[in-house]
Amino acid sequence: MKKVLIFLLPLGFFVLVALFLFQGLFSDPRARDSSLVNKPLPDFNLPDLMQPQVEYTPEVFKGQVSLLNVWGVWCITCAIELPYLTELSDNGVRIVGLYYDQDTDPDFGTKTVGTIQQEVNAKLGQLGNPYAFNIFDTYRDYSLDLGVTGAPETFLIDKKGVIRMHHIGDVNPRVWKNKIGPVYQRLMSE
Amino acid sequence: MLAELGNFALVIALMMSMLLAIYPMWGAYKNHAQMMALAKPLAIGLFVFTLFAYIVLTRAFIENDFSLAYVAHHSNSLLPWYYRVTAVWGGHEGSFLLWVLIFSLWTVAVALFSRAIPIQMVARVLAVLGLVAMGFYLFILLASNPFDRLLPFYPVDGRDLNPLLQDFGMIIHPPMLYMGYVGFSVAFAFAIAALISGKLDSTWARWSRPWTIAAWCFLTVGIALGSWWAYYELGWGGWWFWDPSENAAFMPWLVGTALMHSLAVTEKRKVFKSWTVLLAISAFSMSLLGTFLIRSGILVSVHAFATDPTRGLFILGILAVTVGGSLLLYALRAPQLKSTGRYELFSREVLLIGNNVLLTAATIVVFLGTLLPLVHKELGLGSISIGAPFFNQMFVFLIVPFVFLMGLGPLSRWKRQSPTALVRQLLIAFGISLSAAVLVIFSYDQAAYMAALGMTLSFWILLTTLQEVMQRIEGNKGELSVVAKLRALTPSHWGMVLGHVGFAVTLIGITLVSNYEQESDVRMSTGDSINIGGYDFVFNGVEELKGPNYGGHVGLVDVFEDGDFVSALAAEKRFYPVQRTTMTEAGIDSGLTRDLFVALGERLDNGDWALRIYVKPFVNWIWAGAFIMGIGGIFSIADRRYRMAKVAKFKSLTSNGKTIEPATEAN
Amino acid sequence: MNPRRQKRLVAVSAVVLVVAGAVGLMLYALNENIDLFYTPSEIVEGKQGQLPKVGQRLRIGGMVVPGTVARDQKSLAVSFDLIDTGPVVTVSYKGILPDLFREGQGIVATGVLTEANYIVADEVLAKHDEEYMPPELAEKMKGIKHVKPQNLGGTD
Repeated sequence: MKKVLIFLLPLGFFVLVALFLFQGLFSDPRARDSSLVNKPLPDFNLPDLMQPQVEYTPEVFKGQVSLLNVWGVWCITCAIELPYLTELSDNGVRIVGLYYDQDTDPDFGTKTVGTIQQEVNAKLGQLGNPYAFNIFDTYRDYSLDLGVTGAPETFLIDKKGVIRMHHIGDVNPRVWKNKIGPVYQRLMSE
Repeated sequence: MLAELGNFALVIALMMSMLLAIYPMWGAYKNHAQMMALAKPLAIGLFVFTLFAYIVLTRAFIENDFSLAYVAHHSNSLLPWYYRVTAVWGGHEGSFLLWVLIFSLWTVAVALFSRAIPIQMVARVLAVLGLVAMGFYLFILLASNPFDRLLPFYPVDGRDLNPLLQDFGMIIHPPMLYMGYVGFSVAFAFAIAALISGKLDSTWARWSRPWTIAAWCFLTVGIALGSWWAYYELGWGGWWFWDPSENAAFMPWLVGTALMHSLAVTEKRKVFKSWTVLLAISAFSMSLLGTFLIRSGILVSVHAFATDPTRGLFILGILAVTVGGSLLLYALRAPQLKSTGRYELFSREVLLIGNNVLLTAATIVVFLGTLLPLVHKELGLGSISIGAPFFNQMFVFLIVPFVFLMGLGPLSRWKRQSPTALVRQLLIAFGISLSAAVLVIFSYDQAAYMAALGMTLSFWILLTTLQEVMQRIEGNKGELSVVAKLRALTPSHWGMVLGHVGFAVTLIGITLVSNYEQESDVRMSTGDSINIGGYDFVFNGVEELKGPNYGGHVGLVDVFEDGDFVSALAAEKRFYPVQRTTMTEAGIDSGLTRDLFVALGERLDNGDWALRIYVKPFVNWIWAGAFIMGIGGIFSIADRRYRMAKVAKFKSLTSNGKTIEPATEAN
Repeated sequence: MNPRRQKRLVAVSAVVLVVAGAVGLMLYALNENIDLFYTPSEIVEGKQGQLPKVGQRLRIGGMVVPGTVARDQKSLAVSFDLIDTGPVVTVSYKGILPDLFREGQGIVATGVLTEANYIVADEVLAKHDEEYMPPELAEKMKGIKHVKPQNLGGTD
């Protein structure tokens, strides 16, 4: 019997390692996106991009089905999806922007909010403005909470403020038709 | 349409792996000849269908079929055709397809080249391989399918291959590495089959030896290629970074090296059986662990694939079932393993096991250094990193006894070696190594203890290997010329000699480049010159660069030695617009005794450029040594003893207690 | 004890000795070479109540404060400030900065703390485009509370 114990040692060692690997899999801050689906939006309290004195909380998503679109003027793909998003919003889809700028942090102030507002207005004037309003992710930490790894990314949020879908990459007619649209219609009729 | 066929081929391959896992195993259990005979056609089918799927994917790349998500993400119409072919394994899904293709290749090779091995054994081995394959085919189909479509709307052009991977080294590095990684599955399958059958004599060791050596060769060359690639492509001038992905390949290599030697002891002397089985399991487990570490992105490294917890979880599941299951089987069966051979304390057996212990210790060091940051973080003790100095320090400690035993082992006899008989030889070898090392060190400007140590160790290996060959020749009492006597040595013996010489060559490279490389980050404007390591580097300014899918700058540097022109180096800084990535391509003048290396840094405020300049002595020896080791392995496999048809004949010889190879057993 | 057993005992104890020696050496080497990860505020204010010691090797991750990158005009020496949420720590480095090093970006540096808020780095890493942030940094940044950007307009 004592002998068996010795030969069990490698197995025990392996089990221990496997446990740590298992735990490690879920502790990567960049890899939590899928875990948020079907959970309420993480709490936030952030200003409006255009009117910093207005503050939003997850309450603004209650009662309506919305798309939360994470974007920035520096993001090339975002510019590509803007016209189609505008088309969607013209058809009555409520789209809320979560704006994050990669080069700014108010503490350092490379860009002022004024500059950002100008850039955003220029961009939206050129390509269409699909947004009901833009939430300004001041410290880029809310996008982190959401598990955003890049831009653009889009979240589909139901009437109760629960995330129902997370789409990475641009929204285009194909994605809308096959992926987001059907769920959106279902949520609308809920 | 073709892509759907590729997908379908993978489904068929999955089903074949399932059948392969069940029927031959059941057949071997029931001693049902027909079921066991199914193993071979199933293995062939597995390979053929996987190959078909692979060819389909390659075709999609060549023809720029961007309706496949994988192609759209990893290729681009501007990419030259040869990079399109290699881009197949440039991303997660495709490289995994390559992984299973190579796995099925090893499986079919076992099925075809094992005619001399009893059919029950072959059936079990193939069934074990089928079982492992099943997990991986499921993984591909469920979590990582390269044939997923972007329909009905797909991009006009693709996203481009990561520029790091657009390189010749990258063309051959992953397949080589995978051949090695996956090759250990064969030794693993043999060990498991032996455990299942309960036939725990040492015959399985002989059967799995050539497979292990083959896998080891590929892994050695694969790691060397990876290191070479990092050296000239990453632009940092280093050749080994103790990066998690390097460690992931290095751990199976260490265990595989131990296994290769332990198998020899078990085959010839019928001892250390349970240890050898454990090593066979560990070598493949380390391969799987390496795959997991890189694929799951759990450790952030230079070339980790994108993180995706579901994929990581899936591989962890495969890892848990495969490794956990086999270790459980091991715990149940290993106590029955009895070593029959006898040996004294000072004998080749003990020396070899000594090296095994050191290799295991080295594996533990790498393992710990790689995984400790993860454990540390998970225990809530905060993020840490373990720097290269830890590994370097540990390997310096480990290599001294390792090399000492490495020289001693081949000179000693099996069973019992009288220490006094060796002392004179060893003293001579040690004296010469030390003096040679001192001579080499003094040819450089400053003496370094580490360099002296490294050179002594290298010469020690070379000299003891030479002594061993001479011993063999003297042992041959025939009336033959020296050349004829050398010819009489077996290929597997030459394999060992080459393996050890290759190691010494690598060690010389490592020693000299770590101690005597001259490195300098300098700021230069056009016309400036700087003297480094006896070479004058003249900076001739920077020109615009225009490539097929990149732009950038190229820095021109002429090198002179004592006023004589040596080489013109072009150090590129490339910008890949599609991926928006900057790449540094170093300008290197490679030579037998030194490399001259120039990398272009950033442009500074006043138009000067930052340049990184190295003179690296003997750096090529590091990789040359690895290739010599690989050639040694090929010699070993080529040995008559392993030609499978003859195994049966030799088996009857050994069972009579006769020696197999007079030359290896003579003294 | 019969000779066979005795032999085995010697062999086993030799193995145990080697392993124990190796473990000892390893722990020693580990102790020397573990680099703990700090953010700038942790360096100045302490991590779990403990300040890093001057002379300690460590890793620091933070954002490069724009406008603080100063290159020496004669050499490749460079210094810059790092920040996360609070105080600033200065890092000096000699050599070529990585391709992705930019002001306002997150970087990780490894080096020695030579003064309370000064680090001499021997390695600077920036694997950071808009899609990537060093995971340690991402984790630390998560702890930052949401503050209303009152002075947004004024920090021109």
